[in-house]
Amino acid sequence: MTSPQVGIVFWIIAFVMLISAFMVVSLKNIFHSALFLILCLFSVAGIYVLLQAEFLAAAQVLIYVGAVAVLMLFAIMLTNNLASKKIRQANRNVLVGFFVSVIFCFITLVLLVKTYVSVWGKLKPQAVLPAQNVLVFGKYLMTKFMLPFEVVSVLLLAALIGAIVLARKERS
Amino acid sequence: MLAYLSLAAILFSIGMFGVITRRNVIGIMMSLELMFNAVNINFVAFNKFIVTDSLLGQIFSAFIIVVAAAEAVVGLAIVLLLYRNWQGINSDQVNVMKW
Amino acid sequence: MNFQLPEIHISLMLPELFLFIWALLIITFDVVTKRKNEHTVGYLALLGLLIDGAILSVTGYGSGFGNMFFNDPMALFFKVIFLGSAFMAIASSFGLMHQKIVNHRGEFYALILFSTVGMMFLSSSDELLSLYIGLELTTIPLFVLAAFFKDDRLSVEAGMKYFVIGAFSSALMLYGISFLYGLSGTTDLVQMKINLAITHLTFKDIGVILSLAVLLILGGIGFKLALPPFHQWTPDVYEGAPTPVAAFLSVGSKAAGLVAFAKIFINGLYAFYGAEMAPNDWGRLVGVGAILAMIIGNVVAIRQTNIKRMLGYSSIAQVGYIMIGMVSMNEFGLTSVGFYMFTYMFANMGAFAVVAFFEDKSGSCQISSYRGLSKTSPFLATSLTMFLLSLAGIPPLAGFVAKYAVFAAAINMATSGVAYHWIFWLVGIGLLTSVFALFYYVNPVKQMFFSKEDSPYKISLSAPAFTVVLIGLIGIVLFGLYPDPILQFASQISASFGFLPH
Repeated sequence: MTSPQVGIVFWIIAFVMLISAFMVVSLKNIFHSALFLILCLFSVAGIYVLLQAEFLAAAQVLIYVGAVAVLMLFAIMLTNNLASKKIRQANRNVLVGFFVSVIFCFITLVLLVKTYVSVWGKLKPQAVLPAQNVLVFGKYLMTKFMLPFEVVSVLLLAALIGAIVLARKERS
Repeated sequence: MLAYLSLAAILFSIGMFGVITRRNVIGIMMSLELMFNAVNINFVAFNKFIVTDSLLGQIFSAFIIVVAAAEAVVGLAIVLLLYRNWQGINSDQVNVMKW
Repeated sequence: MNFQLPEIHISLMLPELFLFIWALLIITFDVVTKRKNEHTVGYLALLGLLIDGAILSVTGYGSGFGNMFFNDPMALFFKVIFLGSAFMAIASSFGLMHQKIVNHRGEFYALILFSTVGMMFLSSSDELLSLYIGLELTTIPLFVLAAFFKDDRLSVEAGMKYFVIGAFSSALMLYGISFLYGLSGTTDLVQMKINLAITHLTFKDIGVILSLAVLLILGGIGFKLALPPFHQWTPDVYEGAPTPVAAFLSVGSKAAGLVAFAKIFINGLYAFYGAEMAPNDWGRLVGVGAILAMIIGNVVAIRQTNIKRMLGYSSIAQVGYIMIGMVSMNEFGLTSVGFYMFTYMFANMGAFAVVAFFEDKSGSCQISSYRGLSKTSPFLATSLTMFLLSLAGIPPLAGFVAKYAVFAAAINMATSGVAYHWIFWLVGIGLLTSVFALFYYVNPVKQMFFSKEDSPYKISLSAPAFTVVLIGLIGIVLFGLYPDPILQFASQISASFGFLPH
């Protein structure tokens, strides 16, 4: 964190993100969780801006908030006629899930701190990221990462075909 | 930097909690999106603070965003099928075969 | 940062390109002909795979796209397995096309081909980003294929379970990959091997975070391999999914997982194998997984009554044996893995094909419904027996040679130093569980041959069906008696990973 302003912004965003993420997994009304998901994804975009990933922030808003979350809302409205009713949304594994994730979180945090002390804190980066990030990003995509870029288009096509096949109603 | 990584770790764990405990398949998918986002934060943070000589981390996250979107599309198609066959999309209801 | 267009060498990826375009052609053909020519579409898909095999045989080694695409002996060897399993899966799905999938035949074949393209990219990637993309391109069409019977509750449920667990495990794997990236600063696996070793030497303590990363990545790949504790989806998905798809999952997807495993662990994490790497030693972690796989797979399979579930548990057990070869880091280890996978393809695809034909006719997958099959369809019963015996590892079939190769590699490794004595445990449990395995493999055989009554089903095989069974039979008998050429080919895999023969 370079300046105190950035620090304050980070803590605000982090707070909003974690609260809304917790709402996503714990609310009884699935529709409300989807709305909180949108908030959470927005705050992730904010984190990207802080980390100098402007293009990713834009893509995050466009793809996640604009497409995926709206898709989820549509799916909820199409499938769930119980959207407004209070029904049990959690299964019998709540305690198990709680312990597993808390233990996982704890272990990961401890290991992160340990590794930060022993490795990452001692590394001095040789350079800073260029200011014109988007430009560099695009150039990378078209040169070094051209092949994955092409393959991902095949993947999107396959997903598209698959989704159409599954979602289509058959006339029989 | 540690703050960003810890944030990602907590977000990842929350997503994991959601995947384990949610009954509704759409709820599971939303929790999965949280996990993918946590991974992305991790990549971008490493890119900013540790590996500054390229934009590899950011590019990796961009690909993860795309693939997660494709996965969500297929997943929602399967959810529609579930709904048509069961008139409900809760995962313990959809359990004819024992695990 | 330099931005030069990398050398492309597009001729190296001709097989992938061809298969992709062929898949599009198949869909187009199916739509243009108004979905009337059900057999032509299938034969087109088979023809495409044959041509692709021919193209593959003239493709050379080398790298293109600035090391993003890399053809080595391992890539070529496993591409043969992917194409072979796709061929056998498609050829054994003709009956299914006739009865159940009426509206989307072209898409069914095309999705299998897309998934094969993904596996081929995966096996040619030498870099975590393209490896991840390849893995997803393999998996996403399989989600759809598993749920392909849209009105069948079991199939849709299989699709859902496969999807949820698949996405969950890919999130786990990505989290692990992000730590590898943070520790090594690269996703190029060869570079990662060097960088990780340097980081380890510079800082002395790389932190236990690496073993966390290994566990997470193992979660992602273990899901593909059905390696415990990530195996729970296997029997359910195999039971619910269309039988040819289950066969493809059990061979093609598993081989893809093996390639990814070998690339990440043996290449990228090469330095972190062995007792002196104590908390970060991935060998023992995988060894524990293999032991669990052999015990769970073989023991639970005994009480299955559905043959698809039984084959599902048997495939979990087979992964355990393959992983024994994988943790033997010497020049025999990868050779035995490659050979095992090659013979496993013939035996398992053959067994699933017979199950599929029987299911087309009788609509049942219960082992008890196979009663007396030897009297009405002796050829089918005999071939199923051969496949099961090969899976069980009975000489002189190919499965025996494969098991022998794996155990030989492991013993060779275990005797090479005190630090590797734990591999003896793997070998011991492997031998013990092989005996257990006989019980359940022999069970259907007993039903088919030693039953007084005649089976109500008389199954006549169509031409493609007959071809599949014949290919499988030839494979397990020929490579059981004469394994040398395949072993030779497979030994190049070890050589390309730097394990040179003494």
